[in-house]
Amino acid sequence: MKEKVELIKEHVFDAIEQKKPLKIVGGNSKAFLGRATKGSLLDVSDYSGIISYEPTELFITARAGTLLSDINNTLFKYGQMLGFDPPNYNTRTTIGGVVATGLSGSRRPYSGSVRDSILGIRCINGLGKDMSFGGQVIKNVAGYDLSRLMTGAFGTLGIILEVSIKVVPIPEAEMTCSRSMTKGNAIVKMLELSGQAISLSGSCYYGGVLYVRLSGNENSIMATKKKIGFDTDEQGVNFWDQLRDFKAPIFNSEKNIWRISVPITTVPKIGDSQFVLDWGGGLYWLNSDRAPKEIFDMAEEVGGSAMLFRGYDQKQEVFQPLTNGLLSLHQGLKKAFDPHRILNPGKIYASL
Amino acid sequence: MNFNRFREFLPSGGVLLSEESKRVYECDALSAHRVMPGCVLLPDSVEQIQKILSYSYLNNIPVVARGAGTGLSGGAMPHAEGVLLSLAKFNKILEIDSVQKTARVQPGVRNLAITEAVKSFGLYYAPDPSSQIACTIGGNVAENSGGVHCLKYGLTIHNIMQLKIVTIEGELITIGSHAYDSAGYDLLALLTGSEGMLGVIVEVTVKLISKAPHSRVLLASFDDIEKAGNAVAGVIANGITPAGFEMMDKAGVRAVEDFVHAGYPIDAEAILLCELDGSEEEVEIGLKKIKILLKQYGAIEVRVACDEAESELFWAGRKAAFPAAGRVAPDYYCMDGTIPRKHIAKVLAGIQILSEKYKLDVINVFHAGDGNLHPLILYDVAIPGELKRTEDFGSEILQLCIAMGGTITGEHGVGIEKINEMCIQFRDDELEQFHAVKAVFDSKNLLNPGKAVPTLNRCAEFGAMHVHRGEEKFSELERY
Repeated sequence: MKEKVELIKEHVFDAIEQKKPLKIVGGNSKAFLGRATKGSLLDVSDYSGIISYEPTELFITARAGTLLSDINNTLFKYGQMLGFDPPNYNTRTTIGGVVATGLSGSRRPYSGSVRDSILGIRCINGLGKDMSFGGQVIKNVAGYDLSRLMTGAFGTLGIILEVSIKVVPIPEAEMTCSRSMTKGNAIVKMLELSGQAISLSGSCYYGGVLYVRLSGNENSIMATKKKIGFDTDEQGVNFWDQLRDFKAPIFNSEKNIWRISVPITTVPKIGDSQFVLDWGGGLYWLNSDRAPKEIFDMAEEVGGSAMLFRGYDQKQEVFQPLTNGLLSLHQGLKKAFDPHRILNPGKIYASL
Repeated sequence: MNFNRFREFLPSGGVLLSEESKRVYECDALSAHRVMPGCVLLPDSVEQIQKILSYSYLNNIPVVARGAGTGLSGGAMPHAEGVLLSLAKFNKILEIDSVQKTARVQPGVRNLAITEAVKSFGLYYAPDPSSQIACTIGGNVAENSGGVHCLKYGLTIHNIMQLKIVTIEGELITIGSHAYDSAGYDLLALLTGSEGMLGVIVEVTVKLISKAPHSRVLLASFDDIEKAGNAVAGVIANGITPAGFEMMDKAGVRAVEDFVHAGYPIDAEAILLCELDGSEEEVEIGLKKIKILLKQYGAIEVRVACDEAESELFWAGRKAAFPAAGRVAPDYYCMDGTIPRKHIAKVLAGIQILSEKYKLDVINVFHAGDGNLHPLILYDVAIPGELKRTEDFGSEILQLCIAMGGTITGEHGVGIEKINEMCIQFRDDELEQFHAVKAVFDSKNLLNPGKAVPTLNRCAEFGAMHVHRGEEKFSELERY
């Protein structure tokens, strides 16, 4: 594995010398995300394998190319899982890609995001320096939190080599309940549920039905179900899996698919677009051919941010535009990690 | 430096220049390190902070921000030629949104004041550093503070949504949002725990949590510290996430029991405190499960608090650990390393050996659930040389934490205190990356200069000093 790291470094040095950017790829299961980039392919998928996993320590360390499915299977054997419910778009999804894109699933409001769970990262920056930040312990405040900064940076700050991630116990029991209702009622209900001390692990409105997932022990789940007055939904497990893995029917569309994160108490003007409302009211999935600017404006109006998740034009801006102040900090950071601009340049914003 | 210029845009009484008035600001809770600041400024509006910073930027004046000054690593230690920027007047809660479960507060609001303000909605702010009665949220963000409930509810970084900061150039920038995800790089994470090196925090939006309807504490005693350490790992491996999971050694138990009479077993080699929360039923079932597990791991006694009052009494002992240390010695020095849980017993044995080497007693209390140690080294500052010996002892404890795969600071920050140990935890390339990040925000190195990240020169000197000692570190310990 040491030779593989050396090889990756050489790619970086070559790229600097030839002034030719790199396009970093793991399993390539999320190639449709972000802006289109050019560059020579740097495939890190064979830098793989779990380095360290001890259930008592509640973390796993794995090389970037490790398959997400391998990690999930390993954790499952010991009754544990990744708390942030990462999407598994196909069998090639790698843990490096999970961290680089920072996408969390339906459990995110209840058990945290990808970055919430990141404990440490080993990476190579745009100067070919092999660096480690963070560690394997939950509490660690030595130095700036660069491992979390790199989470969701789409490889624009460094080539992720290894990640240490916090894991959580799989709930003893889970049950999905559902109830048909209007959108307005669903939003009110979601807020009402979030205000109660109950063990939710999912709350999503889709196709006129509010789906709620309860976690905990068998008895407390039954008691909660009774309390909220929902019916058991036998298809519940499939529902969450399909939504997470981008297989729900709404995604099967010719239109642009938008992912919009908003404060749970706001209602963005989505018009008559087909939508899913996940994260207890905090995340809209939208099917819409409206102009990107309109969608960005709509998100901004409620203090949220939109991402063109799957669009048919990856040359335009696909992420919510940043304020000038933020953009200049972003540009500075890009320079601090990758002064030659060789790591996935333009992947998230044209100027980064 | 003519600090009088600040009077032009600060309220009367907002510029302190006399020695008497500046005295209280010369250190934070790491009182062994003191510097008289050039001046102390007490602005009461964000605009004033912007003016202070842009003026300082133009005139190359160092600025050190300060909340309540309860920090334990010297992060708010002033600069002799600089501004000590007190945020004490920013003590208002601006907005509570009980439906969104957020509160927008000024940086000088005390940690506990947030919980008190939202209590009536059945909500609270989860991170609870032991200084929560006094420490401010701005300082909590700067240090990424933890507390006893981190294992289940996370650190500051997991419990905030949005920050407003003023850069050294005086620009006001909003970072994060009231939505779960925000666009771009995770600057919220970068700013959290950045120890006042990147910007001055002027507003914080915190997440609030619904209070669990039920919670209960149990107390387990062990005749062997290693068994207690293994029991912690065992409970966690069995899929239980306690709300709090604390450990204390014999010296700690005795000091505490003499002080608050919490009913701790004074003959035990170690005790564990474990708190579960949730519905009444969840707690009942969890307690049963843990009781069995702890017995399996060799607990000689397991006591479940019979009611809320006894739960509180059990906690009172733990919370009194630091003042109790203050009763048994003239001074104590609180350390803060984190190690993988499985090495708890080994590290405690290592600390014991060091305690004999330095001829200083130590009390061990820690957040066992997340492997965060707080050894309290007992000393007497009046005895010449004892402070130096204490600091060397502390440094060796931190180096032991690194050797075990841990870190030199779990929640207190690096500040000035652990700056040398940063040279051991990080390599030059990594430190250079930190400096490059710092330069993005603060190209003139004016914000809290000399803290948190050591210069490579300093590390070279520190390294040389170590060679001079001519001894291998921890030669007395088994290495693996």
